[in-house]
Amino acid sequence: MKILYIDTSSSYLYSAIVEDDKLLSSIQNDYGQALSEVALPRIVEMFQKSSISPKDIDKIIVVNGPGSFTGIRIGITIAKVYAWSLNIPITTITSLEAMAISSKKETVHVPIINARRGYVYGAIYDKDYNIIFKPKHIKWEELKMELNKIDDYELISNDTFEEELNTKAYSPDFVKIISIYKDKECINPHAVNPDYLKRTEAEEKL
Amino acid sequence: MKDMYILGIESSCDETSASIVKNGTEEIATVISSQIDIHKNYGGVVPEIASRHHVKNITIVLEECLEKANMKMDDIDAIAVTYGPGLIGSLLIGLEAAKTLAFVHNKPLIPVHHIAGHIYANSLVQPLKFPLLAVVVSGGHTELVEMTDHYHFHKIGGTLDDAIGECYDKVARVIGLEYPGGPKVDKLSLEGKDTYKLPIPLQDDSYNFSFSGLKSAVINLAHNEEQRGEKIRKADLATSFQKVAVESITSKVKKAIEEKKIKNVIVAGGVAANNGLRTAMKELTEEMGVELSIPPMKYCTDNATMIAAAGFFAYQDGRVADLTLNSKSQDILK
Repeated sequence: MKILYIDTSSSYLYSAIVEDDKLLSSIQNDYGQALSEVALPRIVEMFQKSSISPKDIDKIIVVNGPGSFTGIRIGITIAKVYAWSLNIPITTITSLEAMAISSKKETVHVPIINARRGYVYGAIYDKDYNIIFKPKHIKWEELKMELNKIDDYELISNDTFEEELNTKAYSPDFVKIISIYKDKECINPHAVNPDYLKRTEAEEKL
Repeated sequence: MKDMYILGIESSCDETSASIVKNGTEEIATVISSQIDIHKNYGGVVPEIASRHHVKNITIVLEECLEKANMKMDDIDAIAVTYGPGLIGSLLIGLEAAKTLAFVHNKPLIPVHHIAGHIYANSLVQPLKFPLLAVVVSGGHTELVEMTDHYHFHKIGGTLDDAIGECYDKVARVIGLEYPGGPKVDKLSLEGKDTYKLPIPLQDDSYNFSFSGLKSAVINLAHNEEQRGEKIRKADLATSFQKVAVESITSKVKKAIEEKKIKNVIVAGGVAANNGLRTAMKELTEEMGVELSIPPMKYCTDNATMIAAAGFFAYQDGRVADLTLNSKSQDILK
């Protein structure tokens, strides 16, 4: 079973093709502002390198947020159009859960993404990746109060924050993420949409 | 020559649209999902909200279009997409969708400039005749484009500040008409008399336009009347404004017809629906003995039909993009 994984929720492109728990090809690179331009061509190169055609994919797993609004939409659009037009099963995972799953430490996992103005996108998972605190757009000070209740945890992030935090850098463990998600229930491609966890400023002001 | 079916995708502003056009001239099926009612609440298009709706709508619109045409992706020969100009986040959705379809179905990807689309909306009605002058008027554009042949664009003039449609919407706000107010100003102008004196903008030797001065003049006039405790005569203000706005376009069009020996004038873009402009252009072209073509209303607003039509002629001109094609908020038509 060949699975395509796509995450464009930050300035990084994280993508992989995995077959039966074996990594066939992957990319992990910071493209900054150029992400929209290069995301698809880099994914195409992965197919070429592993000599498989788009029709060979059996399932797509795409990150639906939180993170960069524009970034999330790039990956979601590619994934849902791909899945819809070739009738391929598709499912979503949050960026935060992918971060937690990729951690190797036997402890509580706290993935966080800088959402600016003192806010973060954050969630709390136990050592077996079960949700303790659902992904939320939350003031860092508030999330810290939640963390005070926990003895030992690991902060995971690739961002910098106003307050200097002892974070573990995130690098996706594609095989592990996919092995956990490969049997997850699939979604109608039309319903595969970003979960921003935050309304737009215009909606907040209205 | 074998028939060519092009799937067009347009998402440059607040309409998500897909269309299939045969040989650049025959519309097979079109689907447009408009967000106008959503943005009404904000008095204009909110880019982030527009992008969020595009991503939600894109596959639904594509599916409905293929169903309407009773076709499959295998029946499509190429994908044409608006790459710019427009709202960058909005453009991206259509672009990523088009790139993905081109990849997974191994079809040529044709980049289409949004204005080229508006121009080629006319080829869905009748063949373009050259030399041609395209008068592109919309909420985001006011341009005069000279064409000597298919896909040979030469922009000879454009607005130096606001687009004409933008100016209409702002005047509508002064008069107290709800967004999008442009068409309402046009309608109201039929009821009034030209009693307010407004300056005719940019009467110079160029093919350029300027609408910010006219906009300010309307705002100031309304403000001054209010200060004096007088009520503005709304219909009269609409009539006076429309007369000046239309004249500033037709005077430059007249100059271009004379100097560029134009045979065919086409009007394209959302403001092509404006009655005042349609009438004035008709009178001018009749008087000068040139052919006028204004596409029907459904092709005036943003749609993917015109993108698929333009895509055919772009393809004939050898314009094919690879998957690194990126969206551009601004780009010169060439």
